Amino acid sequence: MSTSVLSPKPANTEPSIRTHALHALAYCERLFYLEEVEELRVADAAIYAGRRLHHQLQEEGERVELELASEALGLHGRVDAVRTREGTLVVHEHKRGRHAPAPEVPGAWPSDRLQVGAYALLVEERFPGVPVECRVRYHQTETTVRFPLDAALRGEVASAVARARLLRASRERPPVTQEERKCAKCSLAPVCLPEEERQVAGEDRPRLFPEDDVRQVLHVATPGTRVGRASEELVVTPPEGEGAPSRQPGRMVSALVAHGAVQVSSQALAYCVENDIGVHWFTSGGRYLGGLGGGTGHVHRRMRQFEALRQESVSLGLARRLVAAKLEGQLRFLLRASRGDADAREVLASAVRDLRALLPKCAEAPSRDVLLGLEGAGAARYFGALPYLQGEDVDPRLRFDGRNRRPPRDRFNAVLGFLYGMVHREVDAAIRSVGLDVAFGFYHQPRGSAGPLGLDVMELFRVPLADMPLVASVNRRTWDVEADFEVTSEHVWLSKAGRAKAIELYERRKRETWKHNVLGYSLSYARLVELEVRLLEKEWTGKPGLFATFRLR
Amino acid sequence: MAEPRRWYLITYDIRDPRRWRKVYALLKGYGEWLQLSVFRCSLTDRDREKLRWELARRMDAVDTLLVIGRCGGCVERVRAINAKEDWPEEPALFKVL
Ligand code: SF4
Repeated sequence: MSTSVLSPKPANTEPSIRTHALHALAYCERLFYLEEVEELRVADAAIYAGRRLHHQLQEEGERVELELASEALGLHGRVDAVRTREGTLVVHEHKRGRHAPAPEVPGAWPSDRLQVGAYALLVEERFPGVPVECRVRYHQTETTVRFPLDAALRGEVASAVARARLLRASRERPPVTQEERKCAKCSLAPVCLPEEERQVAGEDRPRLFPEDDVRQVLHVATPGTRVGRASEELVVTPPEGEGAPSRQPGRMVSALVAHGAVQVSSQALAYCVENDIGVHWFTSGGRYLGGLGGGTGHVHRRMRQFEALRQESVSLGLARRLVAAKLEGQLRFLLRASRGDADAREVLASAVRDLRALLPKCAEAPSRDVLLGLEGAGAARYFGALPYLQGEDVDPRLRFDGRNRRPPRDRFNAVLGFLYGMVHREVDAAIRSVGLDVAFGFYHQPRGSAGPLGLDVMELFRVPLADMPLVASVNRRTWDVEADFEVTSEHVWLSKAGRAKAIELYERRKRETWKHNVLGYSLSYARLVELEVRLLEKEWTGKPGLFATFRLR
Repeated sequence: MAEPRRWYLITYDIRDPRRWRKVYALLKGYGEWLQLSVFRCSLTDRDREKLRWELARRMDAVDTLLVIGRCGGCVERVRAINAKEDWPEEPALFKVL
């Protein structure tokens, strides 16, 4: 049953609407919903520039701010400036952009008209009996548009408030706008993904999903290092005798990754939380412990996640596609790595055949246990074939001879486990920033401190982000079998040098770009991870069918 | 909303030591201090606007600010003329410490 048909409750029992939200509402109903109901706000360049404009106006002494609220109108908001002109109250609003084209005189955009109309009504209620007029100043074209608070405008505001209430009571996210050009200017496009939704209908589309996060990932991999804060900088101090502290501009850091015995001060942690810098911890052996960062709020997203994933049909459907995608990734890697190599092909042929045979079974699997069985069978064939992808001249000590973990017993597994930890961190951070909960998944059971959803999504990326670069690096003879590893009789771990090499291998791989086979645009693997999580969220918010559809060539 | 970033030279003239310290500390969070009141920052449009807004809140009307965008060609020339000053093409995307 859809709740969107419920009529809005009376004004006095419901929180009022922000005047500013009417602006979003007039622009795109989905934008209003994402901002006001789902509490997603992405400040883009235009928003900061707008704030600066208002700040400058304030300094020039032009503004009288007025905080107004009205139960009767169901509105509240802060009016930019109100002035008296010959007995009339003039409500001013400042906009950075240009005015709307109108037949003869410059006009106000409908969304601006609505917002100022709402201010005017609030002002009228506060100063009854005084006539009110509206003005919008467009700074780019240096024009001022004036219009009266007439019956038409009153009607527009009243119906917008009613519409806003209705949407707020609804549990359904409105569809993407029909007016595509609006999306290109919308600050929420990277979250809303309108083009990816339209893609389902075919045709080439502009790309609105953002490019790489250009901020740095800071890996602190030297035991005994301390990370502190000095105003806007993160100060990384190595242990005595290991060099001078290094200072990083805080705003240029996207994540702080602590490997092993690293101390992070509480001031540094607070700074990270405040500036949207993820903080993640690994054991010195390379196991991912967990992290901090990302979404506050997002209540609606999480509730929808819980509701969707509690339905067996949704969970099982996603799990089937996930396992199929994983098996197909393994299959394609075997095919690709053995391309043009007749001998390898022959050895690999049977593994490829078996993996292929498993694929249709995924789609029909009646339960998660059956899927686990299929995944296990696939892994056995895949890892059994992997040694044949290693070049003849690879040092025997780096040869792969079956998967083992916790602790890894050979060099190959030591790096592989470490890289899987990196992938896990990437996926976890993406889940957090999208506003979903790692604790509620659809395929894995919780294990240790790892959230099931992270383990689920990670399955898509083991092959492209860990297996492939590792096999290639071993074949290129990148590794120093002595210096890069610490070997005891029970386990093999990466040395400090080896860890730095593995981090570099991973971080470079993650920035490699790749053309998405369904969406048609190029993006880095790092972005692909976040994109997949956003597409996963769409599985239960109106546009299913896009998650786990990417394939390696 | 692609987010390419560009190099900027940012210089300022601040008349009051207290405000000067605040601006200096803020800019250290965004980039690299070159000399006296000159910083080099690699910023997206969003970073740049955010920084300008944050600067506007810390500065006074008597203070001045100059933000100079540098295209790839300008950066090339800086490198050619001033070889010792290292002016990287792209800031590193990760660091291992
Ligand atoms: S991206 Fe387009 S559809 Fe999505 S909220 Fe913005 S304007 Fe609306």
